[in-house]
Amino acid sequence: MSDYFQTDWGAMTATDWVGLILTVVIFVLMVIAYFQVFRPKNRDSLESRKHIPFEEDIEDSGDNDGGK
Amino acid sequence: MEATADRLAEQKYSFDVVRWFTIMAVVYLVVGAAVGVYIASELAWPFLNFDSPYLSFGRLRPVHTNAVIFAFGGCTLMGTAFYTVQRTCGVRIWSEKLAWFTFWGWNAVIVLAVLTLPLGLTQSKEYAELEWPIDILIAVVWLAFTANFVMTIAIRKTSHIYVSNWFFLGMMVMIVYLHVVNSLSIPVGLFKSYSIFSGVQDAMIQWWWGHNAVGFYLTAGFLGIMYYFVPKQANRPVYSYRLSVIHFWALMFGYVWLGAHHLQYTALPDWTGSLGAAVSLAMIIPSWGGAVNGMMTLSGAWDKLRTDYVLRFLIIALAFYAMSTFEGPVMSLKTVNALSHYTDWTIGHVHSGALGWVAGISIGAIYHLMTRLWHTEMWSESLVNVHFWTATIGTVIYVVAMWVSGIMQGLMWRAYDEYGTLAYTFVESVAAMHPYYAMRAVGGGIFLLGAVIMLFNILMTVRKASVQGSLREARASGLTPAAA
Repeated sequence: MSDYFQTDWGAMTATDWVGLILTVVIFVLMVIAYFQVFRPKNRDSLESRKHIPFEEDIEDSGDNDGGK
Repeated sequence: MEATADRLAEQKYSFDVVRWFTIMAVVYLVVGAAVGVYIASELAWPFLNFDSPYLSFGRLRPVHTNAVIFAFGGCTLMGTAFYTVQRTCGVRIWSEKLAWFTFWGWNAVIVLAVLTLPLGLTQSKEYAELEWPIDILIAVVWLAFTANFVMTIAIRKTSHIYVSNWFFLGMMVMIVYLHVVNSLSIPVGLFKSYSIFSGVQDAMIQWWWGHNAVGFYLTAGFLGIMYYFVPKQANRPVYSYRLSVIHFWALMFGYVWLGAHHLQYTALPDWTGSLGAAVSLAMIIPSWGGAVNGMMTLSGAWDKLRTDYVLRFLIIALAFYAMSTFEGPVMSLKTVNALSHYTDWTIGHVHSGALGWVAGISIGAIYHLMTRLWHTEMWSESLVNVHFWTATIGTVIYVVAMWVSGIMQGLMWRAYDEYGTLAYTFVESVAAMHPYYAMRAVGGGIFLLGAVIMLFNILMTVRKASVQGSLREARASGLTPAAA
């Protein structure tokens, strides 16, 4: 098992490092995105956005969310 | 209320270019599907080649794929993107001139494709066959489309950018990157160039583009359509906005990894294919999350499916989206891929996504647009219903034929006798495919019939609107917000 996960860090090229860093950064960003989206505190503000396609049908103020 | 809002929108926004994109999308659907049925028939009855190089499968097949993906799909995406960005941002398109440049430029690309591909002028890259001058034109037109969309968002009157625009924007940004890198080549003449990549790197770049054309163009873009048109047609907000946010980011971050699963058991390093397969499996989660999000928008109002044929198209498309995004990851697994790769199973998978998901969601959106853009009902609701059933039955016949054919091919190719030699010759496997190739042509023919019915119905609707003067009336009604 340890052989399977063994990495020769010295053999890493610049391209390998760019790929590795990008992968870790994207993973962290995804964790942050999940946390923010599913945080109960953010629920109402996010879910209120789903009415945007219908708001122009109710009032045509030229501003779909009433300038919020 | 809805009709009043649409009349107000007619005066507030710019829809002429959307109308043209909408009509041309249906024209290209008929053309692309017709070429598809013809080449499917060539495989079943090879005499249809007529010994002409211009009619051979190898030259007409890219005409078919370019017509359905870039002509039909592109016109649908551009028309719906220009429509939804205006209505969800509360502003007119940033530049009408740039929108018209996009329309004529994109149609010029399509005409050039139809002229060059039958002549054998090709880079031989799948879904990127067009030669370098046309590639440059594609990049310029796509950048004009993207710039106009971004600037319309920039001048929006809403504080929030609705999720459909995020999906469209993700598609636009990624397609610029993918198209430019995949098309890098050294020209040796006006219609001949060689890719700057070679060997396995060329294959990897090809499928990095190839699968992301599926992921960002045929999935993200059409999900942008889904997130606007399903709620509007159902007259209910999307089931979960939070799920749509996760759907978007997971799709953007995940899809770019998948291309390597097209190259299992090749010169590509083994770990690359395994990584592609692993991320493919992980992608089932956001894909199904998105499909469920779209379907559950009907929660509590499923009865609408009994009477609303347009909604049927949109929801059956989501069912095909869910099915295809499960089937794809399964096929990427090495054990399954060993059987499925190079067989017709792949063709069946592609068409369950293309006919079921992409065409289904597009057709639903186009029918929705027809009534809003021409301010009248469809000329015939019955024909919309007939189209729904021909499209669905045609797709199912096509896909089932290819599943059976593909699995049979895979099993015949790997069968050994007791002496360890192959049990079947390749020609025997080809002969065994004949009934399924005929069945595929019939399924495609039924789908094509539906597309022809749709074109007839929308042209008659335009004529009806012209006779009634409904569009002229909407433009001139002089409604003000107060009057509404």
